[in-house]
Amino acid sequence: MKTLIELTINGRKVESAVAPNQTLLQFLREDQGLTGSKHGCGLGDCGACTVILDNKPVNSCLVLAVQANGGEVLTIEGLAENGKLHPIQQAFVDKGSIQCGFCTPGMILSAKTLLDDNPRPTELEIRTAISGNLCRCTGYQKIVEAVQAAADAIEGTEVS
Amino acid sequence: MLLPKFDYHEPSTLEDALQLLHEMGGNAKLIAGGTDLLVRMKQKIDKPSHVISLARVPGLDEIVPRNGHAVSVGAAASADAISRHELLNDRFAPLALAASRLGSPLIRNRATIGGNLVNGRPAADLPPACMVLEATAKLKSSTAEREVSLNEFFRGPGETVIEPNELMVSIDIETPAAWSGGAYLKLGARKTLEISMVNVAVMLTLKSADGDIADARIAFGAVAPMPVRGFAAEDMLKGEKPSADLFARAGELSVGMCSPITDHRGTMEYRCMMIEVLTKRALGEAYERARAWKP
Repeated sequence: MKTLIELTINGRKVESAVAPNQTLLQFLREDQGLTGSKHGCGLGDCGACTVILDNKPVNSCLVLAVQANGGEVLTIEGLAENGKLHPIQQAFVDKGSIQCGFCTPGMILSAKTLLDDNPRPTELEIRTAISGNLCRCTGYQKIVEAVQAAADAIEGTEVS
Repeated sequence: MLLPKFDYHEPSTLEDALQLLHEMGGNAKLIAGGTDLLVRMKQKIDKPSHVISLARVPGLDEIVPRNGHAVSVGAAASADAISRHELLNDRFAPLALAASRLGSPLIRNRATIGGNLVNGRPAADLPPACMVLEATAKLKSSTAEREVSLNEFFRGPGETVIEPNELMVSIDIETPAAWSGGAYLKLGARKTLEISMVNVAVMLTLKSADGDIADARIAFGAVAPMPVRGFAAEDMLKGEKPSADLFARAGELSVGMCSPITDHRGTMEYRCMMIEVLTKRALGEAYERARAWKP
């Protein structure tokens, strides 16, 4: 039996009927067409499915869609504003932190939560914040550099 | 990976949750964070026909000081909330430290203390910490309520004393005595998303800043079919003057209280060596924290 859920996805109110055994990830990708969140291991080990649920990054493959009822979800699709990339996205492009791109949405959303809480993180804090997101091709160094660059860029815009 | 079919229930009071659990018994599983349950359901290890969510039951995720000298941690408090909680970091260090090492940041945002305990995994992070803090779990069913010491809670791999109609409501801990300090050390091949090869929690109480050891508690994970206390090493430490030598001897004694196996995470021999080293280091860290204790 399907259950009616109401939630906010990337600032937009959504109402939909979901099956109890549907994960939030399946709901986002298959019902909402938001394929930026990736299906990797399906077991919470890789972080490719990371979305921000009620201001916290979570593995959306381990959250039921019904559990997100009433919640607020931010996916990678909701980060750019008016066609302009978010400073973290821009930094990933500028620093060459993307190769295949499969881990990128999760990396960026974990980094965003970190920078929202802690605008001047140390390298260790950055590495800890993205430690649930596995990258198998770019390597972590460029990703860490991008998060540092994004922190500088965000601080620059706030000062001016 | 797909989840099998089930019926989903979302009670909004504890009474309703207990009633549902009573009616469905063995066919139902409770879901809080879901980071263990959904993995086991995807792997077809658990196949409940009913899943009862605790998300709308009020108060289950709260961490509240109690009676001025104790704390009550709601069973649905997340590992992330526990690891960041000021009082828990200050007075109940092994628990806050163990919570900060559980899974990954993404997992910690969902995983709960109750789930980590009731799953009864021998290598789980939070059981040894709860054991050295002599925590008790409040278990409720639709007809009864009881308190069980976490030192008597685990029965074997995946087995605990909790009954299918019982729900863990909270974990209650008395504040450790003055001049107490604790530590938690976890050994794995990497720092995140790791299941312990060996983990050690320690709580040490001194008679004064430079005094002898008044009380000592040590517990281990991943070295036996369930988390275990190191009673012989604890007894040896009591009344002694703290020193690196003494802590090393406690490490040696601890090996005898564990019965590790060889598996893909590490060999029995290596685990024994690491029990010795980690115990010594954890006692050293706990000692430094105990000396720095402030009222």
